[in-house]
Amino acid sequence: MFYRLSGVHHANYVSDSRIFKVPADRNLAIFIFLFGLAAPFLLPSLYLNSYMLPWLIWTAAALGLNLVTGWAGQLHLGYAAVMAVGAYSAIHAARFGVPWEFALIIGGLASSVIGSLFAFAALRVKGLYLALTTLAMQFVMDWVLTHSPAISGGSHASLQSPTLALLGQDITSDTGYYYVAFGWCVLVTIFMLNLKRTGLGRALVAVREKDFAAAILGVNSFYYKILAFAASSFIAGVSGALLVATFFFLAAPEQFSVAVSIQVLAMVIVGGLGSIIGSYLGVALILLVPGLVNGIVAGGSQSLGMQINVETLAHIPNAVYGALIVIILLIEPLGLGKLYGNIRDYLMVWPFDQLRK
Amino acid sequence: MAEGATSHNSVNETIGILLARNASNHGSNIAMREKERGIWKESTWREYSEDVLACAAGLEKIGVKPGKAVLILGDNRARLYGGMLAISLLGAYAMPAYPGATLDELQHFLGEADIVAAIAEDQEQVDKILEIRDAGASGIEHIIYDETRGLGFYEDDGLMSWDHLIEIGLHDLNEIPSRREELLHRAGPDDPAIFLHSSGTTGKPKGIVLSQKNVLTAAKNGHDAGAFGEDEDILAYLPMAWVGDYAITVAAALRYRFTVNVPERQETVVRDMREIAPTFYLAAPRSWDQMLTTIQVGMEDSTPLKKWLYHFFMDRAIAAETRKLNGKSGGALEPLGRLLGEALVFGPIKDQFGMSRLKSAFTGGEAIGEDTFVFYRALGIKLRQLYGQTEISAISAIQAPNEVRLHTVGTPAPGVEVKIDDSGQIMLRSNSVFSGYFNKPEASAEALQDGWLLTGDAGYLEENGQLVVLGRVSEVMYTAGGERYVPNYIENRLKFSPYIKDAAVLGSGLDELTAMVCVDFEAVGHWAEVNGVPYVSYADLSQRDEVATLLREAFSRVNKAVTEPLQLKRFVSLPKEFDPDDGEITRTRKLRRKVVQERYADVIAALYDGSKEVHVSAQVTYETGEVGKVEKNLPIREV
Repeated sequence: MFYRLSGVHHANYVSDSRIFKVPADRNLAIFIFLFGLAAPFLLPSLYLNSYMLPWLIWTAAALGLNLVTGWAGQLHLGYAAVMAVGAYSAIHAARFGVPWEFALIIGGLASSVIGSLFAFAALRVKGLYLALTTLAMQFVMDWVLTHSPAISGGSHASLQSPTLALLGQDITSDTGYYYVAFGWCVLVTIFMLNLKRTGLGRALVAVREKDFAAAILGVNSFYYKILAFAASSFIAGVSGALLVATFFFLAAPEQFSVAVSIQVLAMVIVGGLGSIIGSYLGVALILLVPGLVNGIVAGGSQSLGMQINVETLAHIPNAVYGALIVIILLIEPLGLGKLYGNIRDYLMVWPFDQLRK
Repeated sequence: MAEGATSHNSVNETIGILLARNASNHGSNIAMREKERGIWKESTWREYSEDVLACAAGLEKIGVKPGKAVLILGDNRARLYGGMLAISLLGAYAMPAYPGATLDELQHFLGEADIVAAIAEDQEQVDKILEIRDAGASGIEHIIYDETRGLGFYEDDGLMSWDHLIEIGLHDLNEIPSRREELLHRAGPDDPAIFLHSSGTTGKPKGIVLSQKNVLTAAKNGHDAGAFGEDEDILAYLPMAWVGDYAITVAAALRYRFTVNVPERQETVVRDMREIAPTFYLAAPRSWDQMLTTIQVGMEDSTPLKKWLYHFFMDRAIAAETRKLNGKSGGALEPLGRLLGEALVFGPIKDQFGMSRLKSAFTGGEAIGEDTFVFYRALGIKLRQLYGQTEISAISAIQAPNEVRLHTVGTPAPGVEVKIDDSGQIMLRSNSVFSGYFNKPEASAEALQDGWLLTGDAGYLEENGQLVVLGRVSEVMYTAGGERYVPNYIENRLKFSPYIKDAAVLGSGLDELTAMVCVDFEAVGHWAEVNGVPYVSYADLSQRDEVATLLREAFSRVNKAVTEPLQLKRFVSLPKEFDPDDGEITRTRKLRRKVVQERYADVIAALYDGSKEVHVSAQVTYETGEVGKVEKNLPIREV
């Protein structure tokens, strides 16, 4: 109904390979972008820095994981460890006096180097073995962080992040933090949108579908797997650094524990492997819905005058939230991104039921 | 001939002058878009004109000159259109043929004019020309082809690719700087533009040469009547050998600078139409019917909510449109329903079919069914009727946008005079009328009297100037009881049912009327699937009792609309469709009554001798040219 396609034609291949071929998709993207830009003026600051900001940073991080898991098809259980590398490197660099712009890049590169070095070893095995190896990376990193005071300050210490400053401007306001996160998320999104239509993106998809079939096509699958790990680790590193610099303000090992790795993976899977809009939705579900359910349950029990003891009250949201994930994956195993795609398809062929042949 | 009221509509332009004007004044506007491998390759008027000139120079080099003809064979291609213009520049005859034309039909063309070359679309058409050349038509010295695929190893004489021809032409053009100007101004208004053929429902097709003045006047007449404006976007999908295609895609496009969009293949027309969303669209009633069937079948298969919304708005819109046709006004809520319907149902449907930018939509060539007509009006497409003949370069009368009646074909276009002779025949006079059948003085004398064209259609003018067409004069028939009827009129009414594709009404000189019908495989096939009626083939499906019940409903609807003696009593559903390859209908799908009556003589006899069943063996011509037979026992059904 909203998708009007008549009159859309292409006079050359450049125009045929545009990111948004459907005008309605482009308009939606522009609308969301404008909303993102205007958010500081539309939303109270509580919402801005406790919901929007983490949502955007975690989305950038989830997109990075999606690159390696959704596009290249390699299960990664040590993503938080890679984020930790970036976060600690960037903060150490910034504390050392390196400007933040470079500190963030150093963080990204450090993650990239360690992530791909590790991938060199890990990619000798495939599937579940790879998953387990990446999990090992997570534990190694946890151990290193808690046992090397030079990096983390000790097992129960935390590392203060210096004041964020970009382009010679100190950033201390909520709006400022938000825009930094917004800018990074937009950058990563644009990168991912373009990835789909590059040779690199197609090679990754080929590797995902069957790595030895890709090899037969002349795609060096090992090289592309490493590349996927390196690019994804870079995104993870910068996202980790920004998370600390704009949201946590200090870095501690438990911020990057194995539970966080699992959580990011959950965001990607609930959102949908290989789906960009899915990553946004998946992060929203995992990150924001618990708070929302909490509010609804608390508010609901209060207005109904029910006397529920505090402990039950704390557990109901968790149960609801768990059930929600199970229900979504039952309805659409390919995640929220696919769910969105289904709705889009339904409207795309409106008022018919399927594409006319 | 050009006297009185028509003289002001005389044009002294030629194809060359218009081409030069477009290239110099509107050189960077898009003249042609042709889809190739998913991409619309554009060429501007300047590039297009250069191509046409090079082609003309090349053709002249290989011996095309006035009095000679060049065969154009293939589906719509930008280069074939360019080739036609180039031939006109040289003053020679461009003779397009239907891409599905059989060898016999092509042989007939050869007997008419001196064909010295052919421009063919691809290997398939080249093979056809080589075959007739082997059969003795040695006059076709040169064969130019557009699509090179499969032709790499052909070593026949005179075979050359389009690119090679252009190369020859460009070489020639660049050698003599004044050649371009000279070529553009060589042909005059009375030189030929196109060599077409009558549809040949009775006997062999007759050659019709239209001059450049004819076709350009017709374009002006159409424009003045409000059929199209300037700079329209059109889709070139109609057969190139049909006058309607030439009048719009070549003549009007040249005079009013249309952008002509050529679809990738016949099979992709529907999708390509959506990508282009033309602003002007002309189609035969059959195509409109087909699209209506596609929409209805699609909606029946849709989800409950969509289906409900569709019926909610569509039923109301159709009721409103029917009221309007009958001159009544609607309720107060009508505009609201229209607005919501447009947003929720009509707009999306139009979008799916590439009709959202349509300013003018036309149906022509035959009568259109009321259901179809009203449906498209309800959809918000201002469908109008157009009446014309090959002999008058396609445009005689056009309905104005706001005065649409079902039974009229509109007022005569400006520049066309209409007169009804004593026998009730429609006569037309205009500068767009041809000057006689090619090499057929007797036939020409019959068709042209004092500059008036005898259309062969019976009709009358209403008081408000609207022209009403009743049918072919030659087709008025009488039953044994002396009852006068026009079979075509009843057949069209039968065909308004989506389940009937073709029909032949019988009964001339007999007691009562009966009919033979061919069911529409797509529509009836889908109906059978939905209703759980098993079938294995067309022959099987057409004879099923359930289908007979379906057909009976269509018959009783028609019977209600005609007087008692003209009601159809019995019918037979034929086991094969009428096919132009079998000669039962023309390429424009008009019934060849004589052929049908000869071929189905047994069936016709059985319809009147009271038998319950008849054995038929119908002839089928396959695409390879082989002839087969369909044998089947057909039950005779009472209405």
